[in-house]
Amino acid sequence: MDVLKGNFQTKKPATLNKKSDNESLEDRFEREALKNLGGSIAFVSKKKVLWGDEDQN
Amino acid sequence: MMQGNNTLGFQLVANMERMTQDRIGASALKNAKYNDRFLDIGESLSALRNEKVGDGDSAIIIAAGPSIKRKDPISEIKERGYSGAIVATESALLYCLRNDVIPDLVVTLDPHATRIVRWFGDPSLNQKKLDADDYYRRQDMDPAFANELQANQEILGLLNDHGHKIRIALSTSASKAVVQRVIEANMQIYWWNPMLDNPDLENSDTRRLQDLNGLPCVNAGGNVGSACWMMASAVLNKSAVGLTGMDFSYYSETPYRNTQYYHDAVNLVGLENLSSVYINIENPYISENFYTDPAYMWYREAFLEMAADAAETCSTSNCTEGGILFGDPIEFITLRKYLDRHIADD
Repeated sequence: MDVLKGNFQTKKPATLNKKSDNESLEDRFEREALKNLGGSIAFVSKKKVLWGDEDQN
Repeated sequence: MMQGNNTLGFQLVANMERMTQDRIGASALKNAKYNDRFLDIGESLSALRNEKVGDGDSAIIIAAGPSIKRKDPISEIKERGYSGAIVATESALLYCLRNDVIPDLVVTLDPHATRIVRWFGDPSLNQKKLDADDYYRRQDMDPAFANELQANQEILGLLNDHGHKIRIALSTSASKAVVQRVIEANMQIYWWNPMLDNPDLENSDTRRLQDLNGLPCVNAGGNVGSACWMMASAVLNKSAVGLTGMDFSYYSETPYRNTQYYHDAVNLVGLENLSSVYINIENPYISENFYTDPAYMWYREAFLEMAADAAETCSTSNCTEGGILFGDPIEFITLRKYLDRHIADD
């Protein structure tokens, strides 16, 4: 791999994503897995219906 | 009543509200904006308040939990000639129609782009699509869905024939595919917005949605079964609601592989640690063990809170005869007992 390292100059300077830098593969995996968990829609505590016309909560 | 080493499961339950918002918030809003063009097909959910939906003051919810195929509640409901309101989840539509029951109201809300339309029959379903997603194939649901292409043809035909007789509370968060299919099937549409957050908050998405389309915003309690209950109690104003197929859990002998988030749970903790995600619960009314995942557990907690808030005006009886939805103020009784009570009333 060394032979490929540093033998060219990119046109634009590359900026590294700090978050990905510090994030392990395991963390990333966990984040992706968590993305698919969750309910079908939100639950809002202490609310029923917001009619709009008469605002019966 | 709760057993096992499931710390992670409980941690996930505690974060489920945020995780749900992260997962569906943006797509629900995007769908609602897209669906704005269809709102003149059908009416606002507000119109349902002035309609007679079922006889008397009671309703039965038919959801599609795993108890449905074991308990078959429709047989008893039909046999006893119950004439109160039947409110069904879209996932229970095939179960209702193949048993010649036209629900008084069907509810749908999940914004998923491809999965939910399957409950209505997906005109574009093919083997390639099936190979790409095993979500339905894996789960312990209506066995009619085991042969997926055949079941799809059946529901397509049944809904084409009967759609025009069925009212649907159609959430603006529903996908393009669902809305298209509902319109094609000529169902009677009543539009509503799901609450996406607390409408009292500054910059609330719920308020923004209502400002956009003027429709009522309903607290759907995290899932379509709970939304059915909310429709029966707070929109149709029924004073008694019986639940069927609302398990929020799996029978203890169900393999983990047949649960909704199996692949995601494996990705999260690995096969060897799967039990840390699931929570075991004994149902003391029937002395049977069930296990649940964090999403179902969150639904349970949310439902208990909603039922308690409504207890003065609406009594809730769980007639699922299984599962984990029990606790104050829910009465856990057999469907027979509920029918005895409400057939006499109606």
